[in-house]
Amino acid sequence: MFDFVVWLSETKWSIALHESLYLYPWIESTHVLSICLFFGTLLFVDLRLTGKVFNNLSVADMNRKVLPLTLFGFLVMSVTGLLLFYAIPVRNYQNIFFRIKILLIVIAGINAFFFHRRMSNEAKVWDKDSSIPNSMKNSAITSLVLWSSVIISGRMIAYNWFDCDRQPQPKWINTLTSCEVDYSLFEGIDGF
Amino acid sequence: MKNLFYFTVLSFLFSPITYGHHAFTAEFDANAPINITGKVVKVEWINPHAWVHVEVKEGSKATVWMVEGGTPNTLIRNGLTKNSIKPGTVINVRGYQSKGKLCLPRCIANGRDITFPDGRKVFMGSSGTGAPRDGSDPRER
Repeated sequence: MFDFVVWLSETKWSIALHESLYLYPWIESTHVLSICLFFGTLLFVDLRLTGKVFNNLSVADMNRKVLPLTLFGFLVMSVTGLLLFYAIPVRNYQNIFFRIKILLIVIAGINAFFFHRRMSNEAKVWDKDSSIPNSMKNSAITSLVLWSSVIISGRMIAYNWFDCDRQPQPKWINTLTSCEVDYSLFEGIDGF
Repeated sequence: MKNLFYFTVLSFLFSPITYGHHAFTAEFDANAPINITGKVVKVEWINPHAWVHVEVKEGSKATVWMVEGGTPNTLIRNGLTKNSIKPGTVINVRGYQSKGKLCLPRCIANGRDITFPDGRKVFMGSSGTGAPRDGSDPRER
C-alpha cells in the first residue's frame, strides 16, 4: 500500500494538483460545500426520524424529495475528496485523522445501507401509523453522530501533530500511521 | 414551539467550529522566534502549505529546518516562485519554531520572511493565521 501511494504521489497529475495555484483551493472549497449539501439534507431526514421534529411531514415524501440532493452531495463530495487525497497521497495515507475518518465512513456507510433499505420498505407504514420504530430512531441518531465525527476528523487532517515527519511519537502512534522510524535516534530522550 | 427549541439546540450542536486553516498556535510557539541562514536543500511546492528545507551549519554540525510557508498561490503573489528558491540558494529565514523542539529528524518552523543574498525580503507566511504581529506581513495593520 505504501509503495502504491508513493507511486501515486509521483504521477504527473498529482504533482500538478498539489502545485496548482487555483485548482487545489477550488477542489477544497467544493469539497466543503458539497459536505454542507450532503450533511445539511441528511440532517433533516435524520431529525424527522427521531420523531422530535417535523412530525406533521410524511417520512416517505420527505425521503423521496431530499434523497436525490443528499446523493448528489455525496457524489460531489466523494469525487472532490478522492482528488484531495490524490493531490497529497503519502501524507494523507499516513495521517492518523484520515485513517479514523475512513474507518468512520465505512461504519456510517453500513448504517446508511440498512437505514435506507428499511426506509424504502417501511416508510409508508410509519406514516400511516404515525409511529417510528425505536431501532430506526437509533439508526438516525447513529447516522448523525457518525457523519459529524467524519466531518470533525476530516477537519483534523490539516493538523500534523502525529505526522510521520514529526518525531518522536509514541510507538503505538507510529504503528497506527504505518510510520517506520529509527528509534535509536530517540535514545536518552525522556519516555523512550 | 417545542419543535423550534429542539431544532435550535441541534443546530448549535452541529454548527461547525470556525477558525482559520491550521491555526498558528496549534503547532507553533510564538515565544520561540528563529533567525536562520543556510542553503536551501529541498522545496516542497505543495498546497495547502509549501515547505522549504534549509540546511543550517554550525561548525561541523548540520541541522535541517523544515520551514512552513503559505500556499503556492500566496507565495507567487508575494513574489516567490519555485524557481526563485532553487536548492543551493543561500537564504535567511525568520520565523517561529514548532512547539516540539527536539528536531527529530528535522527542526520544524513556521516561516515569516525570507531574505535573499541580494537583500530582497519576501513575506512567506499567510495572513490571518494568528501568528504574532511582528511586522513581517506587509498587509498586516
